[in-house]
Amino acid sequence: MRYGSTRRSALALAASLAAATVLSACGGSGGDANQELSKDPVTLRFTWWGSDARHQRTQQVIELFQKAHPNITVKGEFKEWNGYWDSLATTVAANDAPDIIQMDELYLASYAERGALLDLGTASKHLKTGDFDANALGTGKVDNKQYALPVGLTVYSIIANTDLLAKFNIAVPDDATWTWNDLKSVGAQVSKASGGKVSGVQSLGFDIGGVNIFARQAGASLYDDKGNVSIPPQVLTNYWQYILDLAKEGAAPAASVSVERASAGLDQSGTATNTAAFGNWWNTQVTALTKASGGNLKLLKLPGEAQSAAPAAYYKPSMFWTISSRSKHPAEAALFVDFLANNQEAADILLTDRGVPANNKIRTAILPKLTATDKAAGEYLDTVKVSPPPRVTPNGASGVESILKRYTEQVLFGRITPQQAAEKFIAELQKEIDNA
Amino acid sequence: MTALGEHQRLRASRRGSLRKRDDKAAFLFLLPWFAGLLLITAGPIAASLVLGFTDYNLIQPPEFNGLENFERMLTDERLHAALGVTFTYVFVSVPLQLICALGLALLLDRGLRGLSFYRSVFYLPSLLGSSVAIAVLWRQIFGAEGMVNQVLALVGVQGRGWISDPDSALSTLIVLNVWTFGAPMVIFLAGLRQIPVMYYEAASVDGASRWTQLWRITLPLLSPIIFFNLVLQIIHAFQSFTQAFVVSGGSGGPSDSTLFYTLYLYQRGFNNFDMGYASALAWLLLVIIAGFTAVNFWAAKRWVFYDD
Repeated sequence: MRYGSTRRSALALAASLAAATVLSACGGSGGDANQELSKDPVTLRFTWWGSDARHQRTQQVIELFQKAHPNITVKGEFKEWNGYWDSLATTVAANDAPDIIQMDELYLASYAERGALLDLGTASKHLKTGDFDANALGTGKVDNKQYALPVGLTVYSIIANTDLLAKFNIAVPDDATWTWNDLKSVGAQVSKASGGKVSGVQSLGFDIGGVNIFARQAGASLYDDKGNVSIPPQVLTNYWQYILDLAKEGAAPAASVSVERASAGLDQSGTATNTAAFGNWWNTQVTALTKASGGNLKLLKLPGEAQSAAPAAYYKPSMFWTISSRSKHPAEAALFVDFLANNQEAADILLTDRGVPANNKIRTAILPKLTATDKAAGEYLDTVKVSPPPRVTPNGASGVESILKRYTEQVLFGRITPQQAAEKFIAELQKEIDNA
Repeated sequence: MTALGEHQRLRASRRGSLRKRDDKAAFLFLLPWFAGLLLITAGPIAASLVLGFTDYNLIQPPEFNGLENFERMLTDERLHAALGVTFTYVFVSVPLQLICALGLALLLDRGLRGLSFYRSVFYLPSLLGSSVAIAVLWRQIFGAEGMVNQVLALVGVQGRGWISDPDSALSTLIVLNVWTFGAPMVIFLAGLRQIPVMYYEAASVDGASRWTQLWRITLPLLSPIIFFNLVLQIIHAFQSFTQAFVVSGGSGGPSDSTLFYTLYLYQRGFNNFDMGYASALAWLLLVIIAGFTAVNFWAAKRWVFYDD
């Protein structure tokens, strides 16, 4: 099958359905999320993105739920990350959204503010959130309504390959006091000691987590409360200057290598292929990375935190559960989300696949069942000092990472200066928000 | 005469009624296609024209915003970048592709042994060229540790990440398009077979060299075919999507160096919830392609020679 024809038919479908939406205005929902559960057969559609391992685990949980509720059938629809968002946008446009939707922080406001999601506060009869930390729950709120329930939590971290460091006789840096400059110099040391075969640091600049950390360590934030871009150009200039210096001083690989690795995904990254001693990652990725690299990986606290007035680190929800506002069975959908979030048996299957559970009770309960790396991730999460999370990505800014990536590429290849990149990035991101 | 005339009249009328029946059958067979055309193609085309004048985020109903989308195009830097990339791609890759196609067609037409084998070998890439598999393969071949660099390393040349370097990323896609010269080549071959041999014989008798024969006989007589291929390949190149989508992972990167027009349109519509603007972009592309095709037809009067 050629890509072209599917794209064209997708476009065609979207357009014709758009016309249909105009005619039929808004489709009504199936009623109150707090109503009694139906005794008749109900079919729910549930969509998520992820790896094969996640699909298998999720399918097991679905079967468990169906056993407990024989009149409810849950149909799983799963995809990989990129295709997921394209397809979600079209199904929502077609008034054919799945009932339960796995949601990411980047897209939460875009869907919630446009009325595509159910306010979970209206489903409190079937969906309990008592075991969740208030700070964690706060990450799922948009306009003060609980549109989304956080699934798992992650923290931004540096992952170090201790095997590589031992091989080159370089001590693991003291992460209680280190600075970004320390990271750069130890990285350069590694690159030099390896004769260029291993680079010290995997380049930053390809994910928004690092930008948030730089902003928060400087006492600023990427967005203000109203959802406008508020990061000072100087902070972004420093950020890109640092990335440029990493490459110039040999700590990070050449620009084209960094660009290629960044677009290839986790398995091709420097950390996974044992070709970078330090990498910036979300802490729960340590399990997948350890599996890919086969080496010993260690989670380190972020550089610069000791010098920062308040910790820049924060709990980021790895993902959320949301329910479509057009669901015909909101009560049953809420019941299923409750099962995913609060049921012990479900948690025993899912473990930390979607992050360290945000549900405190579940997190404690599954701890003994975890592998060493999962345990390390959980302990790291518990010990690291955090501040309240940044504002949810505003409506219109869901493409922020691709904008960031593009300017990082231009800076790395010397097309523009860090300062120009900072100004252009802010202007472009603000324009996307204004257009939404 | 009467008998003969009668016979002819009968045959003509029978042919007439046959034709009518044939027509009906033809229309009947075409019905599914017509239905598909109206429902799946014409309807959405009309809808996209309407959506081009709206602000439509895929979730809420569209709102009319007049010419705003088209005004936005004037200051949209990424659109201008996409136009630059697309024009470069079209105007470099199409001529190169057609020259390769014509050159090989002329070679193969000299009555090579095993012609059909070579024809198939050269035609194969154009069947595969726009597939996802080949685009994925391209990523591998031109990657930092890909085949090209390994070969270069053998001769002591330090390669680079061809696809991850903004200076060379588009070139790899141009090479990919040139590589699919098989389709126009086959059409050229068919065209070459149509040129009567007696012209060449007469020219040889008059002492014309091979070179002169090429310029004075082959190319003029082949010009309608060249024109046909040119129009087709230009339209095709403007619509390219898959290669850039797969090779850049959907981003058009690095640094927008492979941001084809259709890829940008797709990003606006499906990644940025900007379907109104994306629809307007689709219509701009239609106007651009129509414009180039019209210019092509106008210019054709000056260089295309019809031998009838």
